[in-house]
Amino acid sequence: MDKITLGTRDVSIEFPGVKALSNVNFEVTTGEIKAVVGANGAGKSTLMKVLAGANPGYTGEIYMNNEVVNLQEPAAAKKLGIQIVYQEVDTALVPTLSVAENVMLNDSVMNSKGSAFVNWQKMNREAREVLDRLHIKVDVRKLVGDLTLAQKQMVLIARAIQSACNFLILDEPTAPLSDAETDELFKLVRHLQKTENIAIIFITHRINEVLKICENYTVMRNGMIVDNSPVTPDTTTKEIVEKMLGRTFEENFPKEQVQIGEKYFEVKNLRDSEGKVDDVSIYLKRGEIVGIAGLVGAGKSEFCKTLFGAYKKAGGTVTLNGRDLKIRNPSEALKNRLALVPEERRKEGALVNENVSFNLAVACIDKFCKLSIINSSKMNNDAKSIVADIGIKTPSIKQFVRNLSGGNQQKVVVGKWLAADCDVYIFDEPTKGVDVGAKQDIFRLIYDIAKRGKGVIYASCENSEILSITDRVYVMYDGKIMAELETAKTTEDEIMNYAVGGKAVLV
Amino acid sequence: MIVTDNQGAPILSGGGAAVRQKSGVATFLLNWAAVITLILSFLIFTALKGNEFLSGSNLVNILRGMAITTIFGIAATVTMAPDGFDMSACTLASCSSYVFVSTYLWYGLSLGMAIIAAIVATLIFYQLTMFLILVCKVPDMLATCALMFVHQGLGQWYIGGGAVSTGMSIPNGGGTPAKTVLSSGFQAIGKAPMIIYIMLACVLLAFIFLNYTKHGRFLYAMGGNKQAARLSGINVKRYRYLAGMITAVFIAIGGIVVASRASSAQVGGCDNYLMPSLAAVFVGRSVGGAEKPNALGTLVGAALVTTLENGLTVCAVQYFILPAVKGAVLALALVAAYATKKDQ
Repeated sequence: MDKITLGTRDVSIEFPGVKALSNVNFEVTTGEIKAVVGANGAGKSTLMKVLAGANPGYTGEIYMNNEVVNLQEPAAAKKLGIQIVYQEVDTALVPTLSVAENVMLNDSVMNSKGSAFVNWQKMNREAREVLDRLHIKVDVRKLVGDLTLAQKQMVLIARAIQSACNFLILDEPTAPLSDAETDELFKLVRHLQKTENIAIIFITHRINEVLKICENYTVMRNGMIVDNSPVTPDTTTKEIVEKMLGRTFEENFPKEQVQIGEKYFEVKNLRDSEGKVDDVSIYLKRGEIVGIAGLVGAGKSEFCKTLFGAYKKAGGTVTLNGRDLKIRNPSEALKNRLALVPEERRKEGALVNENVSFNLAVACIDKFCKLSIINSSKMNNDAKSIVADIGIKTPSIKQFVRNLSGGNQQKVVVGKWLAADCDVYIFDEPTKGVDVGAKQDIFRLIYDIAKRGKGVIYASCENSEILSITDRVYVMYDGKIMAELETAKTTEDEIMNYAVGGKAVLV
Repeated sequence: MIVTDNQGAPILSGGGAAVRQKSGVATFLLNWAAVITLILSFLIFTALKGNEFLSGSNLVNILRGMAITTIFGIAATVTMAPDGFDMSACTLASCSSYVFVSTYLWYGLSLGMAIIAAIVATLIFYQLTMFLILVCKVPDMLATCALMFVHQGLGQWYIGGGAVSTGMSIPNGGGTPAKTVLSSGFQAIGKAPMIIYIMLACVLLAFIFLNYTKHGRFLYAMGGNKQAARLSGINVKRYRYLAGMITAVFIAIGGIVVASRASSAQVGGCDNYLMPSLAAVFVGRSVGGAEKPNALGTLVGAALVTTLENGLTVCAVQYFILPAVKGAVLALALVAAYATKKDQ
């Protein structure tokens, strides 16, 4: 079988304010399984989108067998046999249609000219053939909505194979899968490589999977390719992690010293109903900032939300000052003096259609109420002092929160909980999408909370942040706590090693 | 009239106008479109028909005509503030009116007790709505769509399939009614000026509740973003329930007023008020740039729809064309609200 090579030459792409890729030279040949690894935001997905034609406006060249190709739209990439299966499988499937219809979707859109009727027999037969080729055992008449996540992924891979496919990009396919399902997927990938002469580009955060299934790997960092190497029996997780991180830290935040008191808050064996939080136990001392490190999808957000009562708890206990807390919903969490600054601030944190003043008051509105009637002038006065205290940049306290910048919206969310005077503050990726200045301000706020003798839980996938502001850190992987580390005595390498599922012996 | 609530959320003011992307004039026109149309229609009808339209008695006509639509509109406003919806409000109101007139006529309750009986019965019936929405998690629209039929069937079963009025015996062999005439107090509820006072009281109560109490603000917070409201510690289920109970009270009041006005409880006598009342809420949504269902806006919406109907009737337009006018007003209000939105 002929080998086809797909590559990029000095490909760069810029998004407003960020250089997402700079001068990337990437190459892959049919018949190989190649991993692309890198920390969050390294540019893996961006590069794959360029190859899939979903990122028009790149500069540089993409070539196939020395011939320059133009990938300005997904259809162009598909025509060349480049297929991508995105991480969010549900966005690409129609749950109310059958497996056969989903597998044959591209085909029925592209090749159905001149015929208004669906030939069900033909469609089912062809879908069956594709699935058989891949040894996937799913009834083609079943609705996709009834399938498991792993099966959905298989359906998408089948769809990709059904049309011309030389290059198959799998964007973090294993993140939502169980171990058994992952093995199943790997079997399929090897089968594809052997029988179909396809190149598989495999994006993942899990280094042990790279070692297990890939022949070559590419490491990306800050929008650049920093390494291309073959996987040999001598390749170690540690080695790859070091390449992913490099030696440079862009930002450094001075750690402030805060007096740490006694242990007062404890979570034991917390589990959620979906298996995303698996037997998590942590504790918190007064004035302590505790990090929850881990990659995207490790279960940090789910942990925070389960703790706060926003997700259903399946087991475990939470004690505050020796008292067992019963938290079935966020309203009870607030009554028990817990605060959560959620990850998706526009969707979950701020009431963007309300003004700053009301947002700052919403968690402690009883302070301003007499017989349920709100005393607006009192509320506004308090809001003014909070705005001044924490430096929210807004023309007035009556401004709608939707009109503020991301960093200031985040400060409003933090301010809301400061006003409510809680005992335990949970921050979930509080610096996501805020600029460096606002980031500093948010860190200062967190220190202020700690100085008041409150404990802070700080969940983030940015290990440099975890290292600079926490006292202690728990590393999560696949819903479990892999390690508890003293921040002063650990390194980014060590955290990353646990975060990708590595074992303690390596360090 | 410019009214701003003290927290600065614009109720009838352009409080957020300074920061909006649209140009100032366009925003102003859009925000006040309903009020401007109302004033314009007054001017045009006066120019066409003079005192026949602008007489005191005709103005009272308009106020009386809009009262029932407004009361049901207020019920819908309270439900829609936290992003709820109730298709079955007016079929339930018919049931309230059956209870009101039957307890008064058949079982001889005093007027006050009959009113209380109607409100209590409506509140009890509304538990079913809340059960479907909050416990069974059926989307509001679908749950209330189903309940519409339940209300119609159960209500008519109770009254034996015919109207409840004087001179009728109790159905299913229930014997003779305790009363044979309606008192003047009973009939006064549905006449001016009482009906107008009731309407204004409903608007005022809902306005204060929604804008000045924490409960009202929480409902609006839920309407804006339920997830964020929940994660801010608002007990969203409890507040949706509260909104439902308040809605039920307004529904009962609407049913009582309709019965009094008709001097009887007609079969499905309130059912046809659903669409006009929803129209009033939608027209009123954007009044003053509030961009949420609000009590004063609903009043304006009901006034606009009724004024157009009244004016066209005075101009001797055939009555059966009037629904088209109502529909056109609603369509225009919705175009104003949605056409300016960004795509996606």
